[in-house]
Amino acid sequence: MKADEPSLARLMAMAQAGDKQAYAALLGECQHWLRSYFGRRVAPSQLDDLVQETLLALHHKLATWDPARAFLPWLAAIARYRWVDHLRRIYRADETELVDELMGVDEEPAIAARISLERLFAKLPDAQVRAIELVKIEGLSVSEASRACGQSESLIKVNIHRGLKKLTAMIEKA
Amino acid sequence: MSRDTPKSTGALIAQLVDGLEPVRPLRLSSGLGFALAGLGVTVATVALLFGIRPDVIAGHFDPVFLLATGLFLLLGLSSAVTVIVMSRPRVGSDHGGWVWAAAMAALLPAAAAIIGIGRGASAFSATAAEHGLDCLTMGSAFAILTFAVLVWWLRRGAPTSPERAGLLTGVAAGSFGIFAFSFHCVYSDIVHIGLWHSAVVVVSAAVGRIAVPQLIRW
Repeated sequence: MKADEPSLARLMAMAQAGDKQAYAALLGECQHWLRSYFGRRVAPSQLDDLVQETLLALHHKLATWDPARAFLPWLAAIARYRWVDHLRRIYRADETELVDELMGVDEEPAIAARISLERLFAKLPDAQVRAIELVKIEGLSVSEASRACGQSESLIKVNIHRGLKKLTAMIEKA
Repeated sequence: MSRDTPKSTGALIAQLVDGLEPVRPLRLSSGLGFALAGLGVTVATVALLFGIRPDVIAGHFDPVFLLATGLFLLLGLSSAVTVIVMSRPRVGSDHGGWVWAAAMAALLPAAAAIIGIGRGASAFSATAAEHGLDCLTMGSAFAILTFAVLVWWLRRGAPTSPERAGLLTGVAAGSFGIFAFSFHCVYSDIVHIGLWHSAVVVVSAAVGRIAVPQLIRW
């Protein structure tokens, strides 16, 4: 049975007071909630890592929950932060590193990130998606991308900038 | 995973439960108390090291001084409160209230630019710039305590927008810094205050935006 918001808030308040039994029950419920939350956002192979990272973050930031407020918006904010951090870590590498990742033996992180990105790309204009794909994912230079898709070099740069800005905003609001 | 965690989520939960210690929830009032204490210490330091401007001691307040310091105080307070609120994560929180205070404070440099252009070159003389740089330097120096207090508070918390939290930390620290130093600065000229005192907030905000996110990521 799924725990409701008041039950979770009560368990959390008890956990803040040091009640280990309540904490175990709370973490169990959080694990289910997080699996559902991340299940729609990351590849299945990334799920366990992200759930565990978020549970660790929750543990370290227990004091930041206000007993006077709802529990799930707090958990959702932590989950979203970890998800954004997860995506950033995958995409932090510069173009060269990204190409290496795509060409390397272990393609799992790039593929997982790609699955997440496909959903976000659906909300961007085609020209911006194309520019980001060519330069940031396929690793072409701006001039090569310009020749490949017919956009001018300056337009490629503008579309990458605007597209990445929109992606960031979408992720932070998700 | 990069951290030292068990492979099974069940084992991780058992480990976390085993390590549970009682915690005291972060209180907004505590955070605000620390920020205000930092402001109080900053103002006291200005008074002790440099002294308070004579008209304030005599109780004859200049209107421009009152308006400007009031605006910087409000901007500092609204930004500091926002930073403190941001230390507790919550989906759906609106952290935009400080923007109105910033818009009001932006009237100072706007007014300074209009008046300064009307006055011509004399408004931007070398002497005026020298006094202005003094205020910029000292105001920025007096921002450090508030800066440190807010960064410490954010590190205790869990800010989910580190960039914005950093920017607002800088705005709050700069506003409090120049608010405190205004009690010493004898210039009540709108061009001086609007350009140089406002510059403290801008510089501090830029430093906060660049430096703070790395310090508060979790």
